[in-house]
Amino acid sequence: MRGLVIGIAGASSDGITAAGESLINAFAQEGYFATLSTNPGTQIRGGDVFCRVRVSTDPVLNSGGLLDLAVVLDWENFSQLSGELSVGPETVVVYDRRSGLTASALPLGGVRPAAAVAVPVAEIAIHAGAPTQARESVVLGLLSAWLRLPQKRVLEALVSRHKAGGDPSPKTYQKAFADAVAYAKEHPLGRAIALDPAAPPEGKRRVADGNEMCARAALFSGCKFFSGYPITPASEIMQYLQREIWKYGGSCLQAEDEIAAAAAVIGASYAGTKAMTATSGPGFSLQTEVLGLASAVELPMVCVNVQRGGPSTGMPTTQEQADLFAATFSSHGDTVRPVLAPTSVADSFDVTVEAFNIAEQYQTPVVVLTDRELAQCKAVLEPIEPSQFRVVDRLEPTKAELKRYARFQITDAGISPISHPGMRGGNYLAAGLEHDEKGAPTASGEIHAQMTRKRLNKLNPLKLRKDLFLFEGDLDAHIGLVSWGNVSGIAREAVRMARAKGVKVKLLVPRLLYPVAETIYEDFFATLRRCVVVEQSHQGQLHRLLRMWTQTPREFMSVSKSGANRITPEEIVRLIQAMEQPATDRFRSHYCDLLNVI
Amino acid sequence: MSSPTLSPAPAAPGAPLTKKALTADHPTWCPGCGDFAVLAAFYRVLERLQYPQESIVTMAGIGCSSRFPYFVNTHGGHFIHGRSLPFSAAVSLGRDDLHVFVFGGDGDGFSIGGNHLVHTARKNVRLTYVIMDNSVYGLTKKQTSPTSPIGFKSKTDPTGAIDQPINPMRTLVNSGATFVARSHATQVNHMIEMMEKAARHDGFSVVEILSECVEFYEGAFDAGNPRKGGKFELVENHDPKDLEAAFRLANEAWPGRFGIFYDSPRPTKNALEKGLIAKARERTKGASDLELLQASFRKAR
Repeated sequence: MRGLVIGIAGASSDGITAAGESLINAFAQEGYFATLSTNPGTQIRGGDVFCRVRVSTDPVLNSGGLLDLAVVLDWENFSQLSGELSVGPETVVVYDRRSGLTASALPLGGVRPAAAVAVPVAEIAIHAGAPTQARESVVLGLLSAWLRLPQKRVLEALVSRHKAGGDPSPKTYQKAFADAVAYAKEHPLGRAIALDPAAPPEGKRRVADGNEMCARAALFSGCKFFSGYPITPASEIMQYLQREIWKYGGSCLQAEDEIAAAAAVIGASYAGTKAMTATSGPGFSLQTEVLGLASAVELPMVCVNVQRGGPSTGMPTTQEQADLFAATFSSHGDTVRPVLAPTSVADSFDVTVEAFNIAEQYQTPVVVLTDRELAQCKAVLEPIEPSQFRVVDRLEPTKAELKRYARFQITDAGISPISHPGMRGGNYLAAGLEHDEKGAPTASGEIHAQMTRKRLNKLNPLKLRKDLFLFEGDLDAHIGLVSWGNVSGIAREAVRMARAKGVKVKLLVPRLLYPVAETIYEDFFATLRRCVVVEQSHQGQLHRLLRMWTQTPREFMSVSKSGANRITPEEIVRLIQAMEQPATDRFRSHYCDLLNVI
Repeated sequence: MSSPTLSPAPAAPGAPLTKKALTADHPTWCPGCGDFAVLAAFYRVLERLQYPQESIVTMAGIGCSSRFPYFVNTHGGHFIHGRSLPFSAAVSLGRDDLHVFVFGGDGDGFSIGGNHLVHTARKNVRLTYVIMDNSVYGLTKKQTSPTSPIGFKSKTDPTGAIDQPINPMRTLVNSGATFVARSHATQVNHMIEMMEKAARHDGFSVVEILSECVEFYEGAFDAGNPRKGGKFELVENHDPKDLEAAFRLANEAWPGRFGIFYDSPRPTKNALEKGLIAKARERTKGASDLELLQASFRKAR
């Protein structure tokens, strides 16, 4: 599945993101699988911008490691991007001749690429008549000629994007595109960078990002109310729903802050509506008191936290998986809330649907932990088959139950029917104060213990949900990995690569992070002598959570990197190979930076 | 807190809604608390309005006054501190069949929830908000509140408050609320009139009621109580649509006047949202959720 990894870097006026979008749309139409990661940069104008496209004839599990092809329009910020766009000895570097640099003088931190090719990108653009807008067209022309992509497709994608943007004169960029194609044909790349031909897709494939898939899943689940406050990198969920939800008879409330957003969501849920909020770390921190209230009043709500680099404002446009502790433990009191994490752009749909189902079935807030990379990464997706998904609705009281209604009735499963305003006889007080079965306030230790047991034990069936875990590899392997979220896609590819080299290894990917499903992990651990949790947080938060809750293998390590530092499949393959070797000092400590191990 | 009692059965279908059917738990307030009178007035308002009992929702945040919903036999919520307005707004939006009342104190309204008050008001969400202002934090046993006057001695200001207090009426008039009234807990008939008018107002209506805390701020509102030598002066010869006049009323010297300061309807968020939904549904020709979702994928480039 290696395929090709293409990186494009430049300044913000270079149309980098647009070029990436045209490419992935063209790939999708040709029957390829692909992902597109972009970073529009933290500045509105100026600053560094890049995109990374990975294309393959097989489904793409992650956006890849070292680049096969690097296109650099601007070197000024390139060194800052080396974590995201890594050039290796196999990489072909194509750069704008305008920079005046010779091939041997490129600022690549001592790496010697396979080839370095100077191309007159700016000159072609200027010749076409619009230097700034046309540079992306030049890049696309070059790539479609060199990669033998159907030029019609790439141009179509370019034209439709320009149309959507209301650009009145297509001539300029069409000329730039054609001139670039002609240039590329005259100057073939010294080294073959070619794509295997793709089989025509069975159904029509679509391009979407994780935020869109979360929003769509909400609509699919019957969510009729959303409230949020703009925050990077979660805003797209609200923006999508603000456009769409009205058609479904629902509504979207831009709140004054994240606390109000969460409060409104629980209000809508109290009134009988499926509801969701979406935010990132800083907003999530604000929402935790409401999440606690939702646990206390046993009302369903879904809270999507699109993780970004933290703490505090942190690194809003970068990837990190460091909100697991916050999602799991923040908000006071003796309570548990389910935390789920999608493993890919496509899985953002599945996991969000599951979040609604769990919220409704168990009358609990559910946190969906996505991350910047999944949320804003576009991917070519297979069409969704709605019949594959079930939609669960909350338990409501029957007419007979409304005659002697007790909202918080103790039942075997810990689940008691929820009545809503408008139901005669069903009135109760949704109260944050501890309450008895009827909802009346209490300071009784006995009732508090009873209600706490009810609220916690009702979630126990979740711990047996094997369908919320992905498994890959050899059942009887002695070495194994655990990974979650976006990083799990990297681990999956690495496990496949290692197994292709004859290494016996297995991987467990939890989509349910909390409550910790002890027996599922312990079954997985049973054959293992050595296990490593691979994730993107300095502390290795899942690793610590598993040590807290499960009987781990004797050698149980965290190997991680902080956010904004790309973990590559190749690195994990080297890690797996190192794990096969007899124990050394580096495996004796619990925590390790990935680069120290391999 | 008294021991909990079970809520009585709702009024028989078709039978008029009475105080008896509306009474729930026995109030836990201190003897002499102004909030008793507000509760009594609220029962009377509901008796007058005769809404179906199951369509009434009584909400609150945290504080002495926020115990209110426990004493009213309707649907309701006792939310976290300060956030009862966004919580209640979402109950009201999309539910034309409901009548949402929110009760709270000066802490909920003007301190921790101050920003929510402004935004719920400017959005003109259809609900009635009753602020029972006692100018002190009572539930936590006498700390300074945002409406405590300068010089007020409390456990957090042992030598007297030094911070300028909020002028509640100026804040409310300025918030964008489309109905703003002021009353006094010793004037039950006036409270009933104000709360009933607020409830009948189509939009965000707010009534500020001076409700004395006899335990921690005795005599706070005597200046507005004729029985204690004060003056209960009504708003007179005032155009409630005149925003500037409303500000002038709000700026009058303590104890000021009582009555409707501002009443100027504009479209509610409830109605505007209903319009958005109707328009969107018209454009999509009433397609099913699944058809819409599939179409959203077809559109994806």
